[in-house]
Amino acid sequence: MKALRRYLDKIKPNFQKGGKLGMFHSTFDAFETFLFVPDKVTTKGSHIRDSIDMKRTMTVVIMALMPAMLFGMWNVGYQHSLMIGESWTLWQNFFYGFLKVLPIIIVSYGVGLGIEFAFAQARGHDVNEGFLVSGMLIPLIMPVNVPLWMVAIATAFAVIIGKEVFGGTGMNVFNPALLARAFLFFAYPSHMSGDKVWVAGLTSGDKVVDGFSGATPLADAAAYHMDKLPSTYDMFMGFIPGSIGETSTLAILIGAIILVVTGIGSWKIMLSTVIGGLSAGYLFNIFGVNPYMEIPAWHHLIMGGFAFGAVFMATDPVTAAQTERGKWIYGFLVGFFALLVRVLNPAYPEGMMLAILLMNAFAPLIDHYVVQANISKRLKRAKKVAKL
Amino acid sequence: MENLINIFVRSVFIDNMIFAYFLGMCSYLAVSKTVKTSTGLGIAVIFVMIITVPVNYLMNKYLLLPGALSWLDPSFASLDLSFLSFIMFIAVIASIVQLVEMIVEKYSPSLYNALGIFLPLIAVNCAILGGSLFMQEREYETLAEATVFGLGSGVGWFLAIVSIAAIREKIKYSNIPKPLRGLGIAFILTGLMGIAFMTFMGIKL
Repeated sequence: MKALRRYLDKIKPNFQKGGKLGMFHSTFDAFETFLFVPDKVTTKGSHIRDSIDMKRTMTVVIMALMPAMLFGMWNVGYQHSLMIGESWTLWQNFFYGFLKVLPIIIVSYGVGLGIEFAFAQARGHDVNEGFLVSGMLIPLIMPVNVPLWMVAIATAFAVIIGKEVFGGTGMNVFNPALLARAFLFFAYPSHMSGDKVWVAGLTSGDKVVDGFSGATPLADAAAYHMDKLPSTYDMFMGFIPGSIGETSTLAILIGAIILVVTGIGSWKIMLSTVIGGLSAGYLFNIFGVNPYMEIPAWHHLIMGGFAFGAVFMATDPVTAAQTERGKWIYGFLVGFFALLVRVLNPAYPEGMMLAILLMNAFAPLIDHYVVQANISKRLKRAKKVAKL
Repeated sequence: MENLINIFVRSVFIDNMIFAYFLGMCSYLAVSKTVKTSTGLGIAVIFVMIITVPVNYLMNKYLLLPGALSWLDPSFASLDLSFLSFIMFIAVIASIVQLVEMIVEKYSPSLYNALGIFLPLIAVNCAILGGSLFMQEREYETLAEATVFGLGSGVGWFLAIVSIAAIREKIKYSNIPKPLRGLGIAFILTGLMGIAFMTFMGIKL
């Protein structure tokens, strides 16, 4: 550690203004602050001091994502072993999935960080850490069979159009990871949906056991194959096909606990999303026109990407509603719309991604009305006082 | 009744004037800088839509469609005036906007002042003409259906402009690259919001 520090101090002058490599200042700064806690402190005007800066915040989110990611890797192998009809050991499963998922993660980080660094150099600002989380979220919401070049294109789209044109981290209106997925979903629908993409090797002609379909529970439910739905235990633990990180509700719950305890994710949004989903589910139960509407409302919470979206996507502090009351409304509508799309829209089996994007578009409006309501309430109170 | 609700939801979300058809973009982009003014314009659009679409429905049914004039005289049954629909619809819209403007000025000067220049501008808003033309193309059966469609389209347009205005207020101080400031980012935003509105594509009620 000390040697590294000494080395950094030695080469630092080169990167400062006027130095030989002064133009790469922001790149150097990014690496230095990533490795060591920066010694820059606020000297005046600021009244809240906290050891947690953006880099640490992002690191905590990455840690919260770890259970989902590790489980996702294992599940990729497990689903593959089910497909070829062999029983593999835990390590075999994990190692197989690891080899499948790692390239996606590398491409996502490589492309995204490359663009971030290029923009930071060109526009002369520091490299922001926002992509650390987006770069991890993108692989976790992809089907495992996605071609790597698609991951690269989607990441580039999300970082440039979704984030950099708005001014970089913290300024974006839409969640970049979801934009990447939505981009692929509409541009290459055959690689992002259907029954073939969720299990590694299913498209490439490996031998498949009879009776193995590879359909996600959501696809089964949308086709009214209620008898094919996996058991509640399987869905909760995540032994089902799906996007890499979204299947295990248990692993996501561990992440949720980390986020809530550290105060980084908003529990209000998580809770209200669940409430919104449940109320839409119960509403469908009351109508019960088709078999999909009759499944228990809480079933929706453990199927597909609902839990992942509620915990990691909807709570994005930048794109969600900022006001406290707004968060309740925002989360509720996310959950509500997600189920609405799932059940009523035959075009898409999963609604979480689009519901969150839609509410991203309306979050500023919700905030605006919450603030206005507060202003008019206080004005009224002030007038009352003035009258007395 | 179910049919009417269906038409309303369709026209607000699924066939949204802005995000599904990109109609009425000029005032949508120009007036969406603050939520307050765009609320005014949005309400004016709802107001005009709800009047012009049913009026144009009646025009269409009793003047323009093939054989529509037969209520005047049986010998007109072979007449087809539908080639006149563009000019008739826009004339109706322009005159109704004028009428609405005069009425509002007379009876509610405060609303008139709030709407300002937007009321006359609506006469040339393509969403309004689009509403009437869609009404003709989709062959709505009754006056009630046409009215509900007008209301729904107006509300959809209102939602779109108010939500982008809120976003533009939010990103006012963002460090957006210079060439994209203003209209450029508004276009990108509209496209991204269009992706978000794809949520409703394909919903059947």
